[in-house]
Amino acid sequence: MKVLLVEDNERVAKFVAKGLREAGHTVDHADNGRDGMFLAVSEPYDTIVMDRMLPGQIDGLAIIEALRKSGNLTPVLILSALSDVDERIKGLRSGGDDYLTKPFAFGELLARLDALIRRSQGSTTETTLAVGDLRMDLLSRKVTRGERVITLQNREFKLLEYLMRHVDQVVTRTMLLESVWDYHFDPQTNVVDVHISNLRQKIELAAEPPLLRTVRHAGYMMTAGG
Amino acid sequence: MRSSAYTLAVGYVLLGLVTLALFAAPLWYAWRVTIEDSRTEILQEDTQRFAEVFRQRGAQGLAAFIDERVAMQIAAERLLLLSDPDLEKLAGNLPEWPAEIPAAPGTYTVTMARGGQPVVVRLVRSSLPGGYNLLVGRDQILFQPLEQRFWYGLAAAVAVLSVVGMFGGILIRHAVLIRMDSISRTVSGIIQGDLGRRLPTGSGRDEFNTLSLTINRMLDQIEQLVHGVRNVSNAIAHDLRTPLAELRSRLEELSVGRPGPDETFAEIEGAVADVDRVIGIFNALLRLAEIDTGARRSGFVEIDADELTAKAVEFYLPAAEQKGISLFFQGQGGLALRGDPVLLAQAIANLIDNALKFTPAGGRISVETSARDDGGIELAVADDGPGIPDAEKPRVTERFYRSDAGRGTPGVGLGLSLVGAVAKLHAGSLVLEDNDPGLRVRMILDGRAGMGPEPGTAKAPSKKATISVIARLAPFVAPSHRRFE
Repeated sequence: MKVLLVEDNERVAKFVAKGLREAGHTVDHADNGRDGMFLAVSEPYDTIVMDRMLPGQIDGLAIIEALRKSGNLTPVLILSALSDVDERIKGLRSGGDDYLTKPFAFGELLARLDALIRRSQGSTTETTLAVGDLRMDLLSRKVTRGERVITLQNREFKLLEYLMRHVDQVVTRTMLLESVWDYHFDPQTNVVDVHISNLRQKIELAAEPPLLRTVRHAGYMMTAGG
Repeated sequence: MRSSAYTLAVGYVLLGLVTLALFAAPLWYAWRVTIEDSRTEILQEDTQRFAEVFRQRGAQGLAAFIDERVAMQIAAERLLLLSDPDLEKLAGNLPEWPAEIPAAPGTYTVTMARGGQPVVVRLVRSSLPGGYNLLVGRDQILFQPLEQRFWYGLAAAVAVLSVVGMFGGILIRHAVLIRMDSISRTVSGIIQGDLGRRLPTGSGRDEFNTLSLTINRMLDQIEQLVHGVRNVSNAIAHDLRTPLAELRSRLEELSVGRPGPDETFAEIEGAVADVDRVIGIFNALLRLAEIDTGARRSGFVEIDADELTAKAVEFYLPAAEQKGISLFFQGQGGLALRGDPVLLAQAIANLIDNALKFTPAGGRISVETSARDDGGIELAVADDGPGIPDAEKPRVTERFYRSDAGRGTPGVGLGLSLVGAVAKLHAGSLVLEDNDPGLRVRMILDGRAGMGPEPGTAKAPSKKATISVIARLAPFVAPSHRRFE
C-alpha cells in the first residue's frame, strides 16, 4: 500500500516511516504543508497520515478540507497533540477519517491505518461474516461455529462483529473501546481484556483451533490461520 | 485629603446654594417691583387729593390742611411740603425745599439728610395752579427692616444649607471612607499573599454590602483556584517525578551497565511502560483542565442517565465477575438529563472502576440511579470495601489525592477528582458517605439544564422517602449478573 506521511517532526516521521515500511507499505514523506498538499493532489495514495499542526501557511486540516473539496476521498488519519474531544470532532468534521493523539504507540497507528485502508476498499453491504468455520449472520443475528450454535449477549455480538469485520488485522483496545462501547477514555483497568477472554471462551472450545490471537503490545487479531 | 465624598458634599452644597439663589432672585425682584409700584401709586393718589383741596380752598386752605395733618401726626411717615413759586415753604414737615429735586414734576428717589442721617426717600413733585409746588413723599427707612429681614433670612438659609451640607458630606465621607478603607486594606493584604482574607459584610442590602459579597465570592473562587494550582503542582511534582525518576535510572543503568540483549529489551519495555504512565497522568490532567474551563457546556445534549449507567455497569460486569465481586444495577428508567455524554460516561466508569479497585473478592457493589425531589438526578455507587475515614472524605476529590489504602494500587489518583469536576460542570456535586461498611459515592446532577443553581448542599432524601422511591422502581438487573450472584 502507498502511504503519504505529512509530519514535520523529524524523529516522529523517521519512526513512523520506518515502521510502515517494515509493515510492507511504500511511504512518501513531506515535512511541511505545501509539499504535503502538492504530493496529496498529484499522486494517488491508499491512505494519508497527516500531522495536524504543520509549519508554514497550510495546516493539516486545511489540506484535508482542500482534498475533500476537490473530490479526493483518500482516507486520512490525523495525528495531533490536541486531545480535547472538541478538537477531535473538529478534525473528523474537516474530512479526516480517524484521529490519533500524540504521543501514540506505533501499533495503534498501524492498526488504525490498516482499518482505514480496509474500510475504503471493502464493501459493507455483506450480510454474513465468516472467519474459518465461525460464521455470523448479521440479519438473523445468529453465530455458529461449525455445527455449534453460539449464544452471545448484545455487546458480545457487537465485539465479535467488529473483530470479524477486521479479520487478519490488528485491533487495539482503544479501537474496541471507541467502536464497540463508544468510550473515548482509558478505563485504566483491563476491562477490555476480560471481555475478550469471555468471548474467547464462547467461540473457542478446547478442541477447536484458536481464532482470536492476542498481539503483544498492540491488541487482538481475528484470523483463521490460528 | 480630597476624596470623592468630599467633592460630592461640596458639589451638593453649591448646588443647594444655586437653587436657593434661583428661588430667591425672582422673589426679590417681584417683591421690589410690586412694593415700589404700589408705593408710587399711593403717593400719586395723595398728590391728587391735595390738588383737589388746593382747587377747592386755594393755597391758604391747602397749607392749613397740610399743617393740620402734620400736627395730627397722621402723616407721620409722610413727607409733605407745599411751596410758593419761589420754592419758599408754606406748609409741611420738611424744613425747606430740598435742593436735590429736579425742577420738572415727576417721581424721584433721592437721598436727603433727616435727623442727621442720610435717608433714601421717594418723592412725587407736582405743580399746582399759580406756580405752587407740592412734594409728597415717603420715608424709605420704614421699609428697611423688612428688606433687612429678607436678606438676613436668605443669609441664614445659606448658612444652614452650607453647614448641613458640609456636615452631611463629612458624615458620608467618613462612612464611605471606613468601608473603602476596609476594602482597600483587605485587598492589599490579599495582594501580599494572604488569600484567606475576606471583606467584612453586614446583613444590609446596600451597594457596599452587595459589592463586598460579590468580591468575596470572587475571592473564594480565586483562592480555590490558587489552592488547586498549588496542590496540582505539588502533586504533579510527586506523581510525575516518580515514574520519570524510574525511567531515568532505568535508562542510565542501561547505558552504564550495557547488559545483554534480553535484559536490555526487558528494560526498554519497562521504560515504555513508565512513559505510558506519564502520558496517562498528562491525559487525565488535560481532561480535567478541559472540564474546569467549563467550555464543554456548549456541547450538552439530551442523555438518558439510566442508559448511560446501565452500559457502564454492563461494561464492568465481566471484570467484576473475574474479581469475584457481584455488581448490581438498579435504575429508575427514563432519567433525562442535559449533559456531556463522553464526560458523564467517563465519570460513571471511574466511579465503578474505583469501587472495583477497593472492594475485596466476594464483595458487592450496587449502582443506583434515581430522580431527586429537586428535579436533579442522583447516581450512587456503593461498595462494601474498606471505605474512607471521615477525615479523608473531603480530600479524596482533590487532584492526585490517594488514600493510604489506595497506595500501591494502579491509578494516578485523578479518578474521583474527575468525577467531581464532571459533577460540577453539570451544576451538581459529589457526596461521599459511609455505607456501613464501605463507601457510598453519590454523584448529584442537575437534570434540567446543567447550569442552574448548585444543589450541592441539598440534603439527601430521608430514609423513608428513599425506600418509597426504590419500591416504585422497576428493578433493572444487568442481564448476566445472575450467573455469579
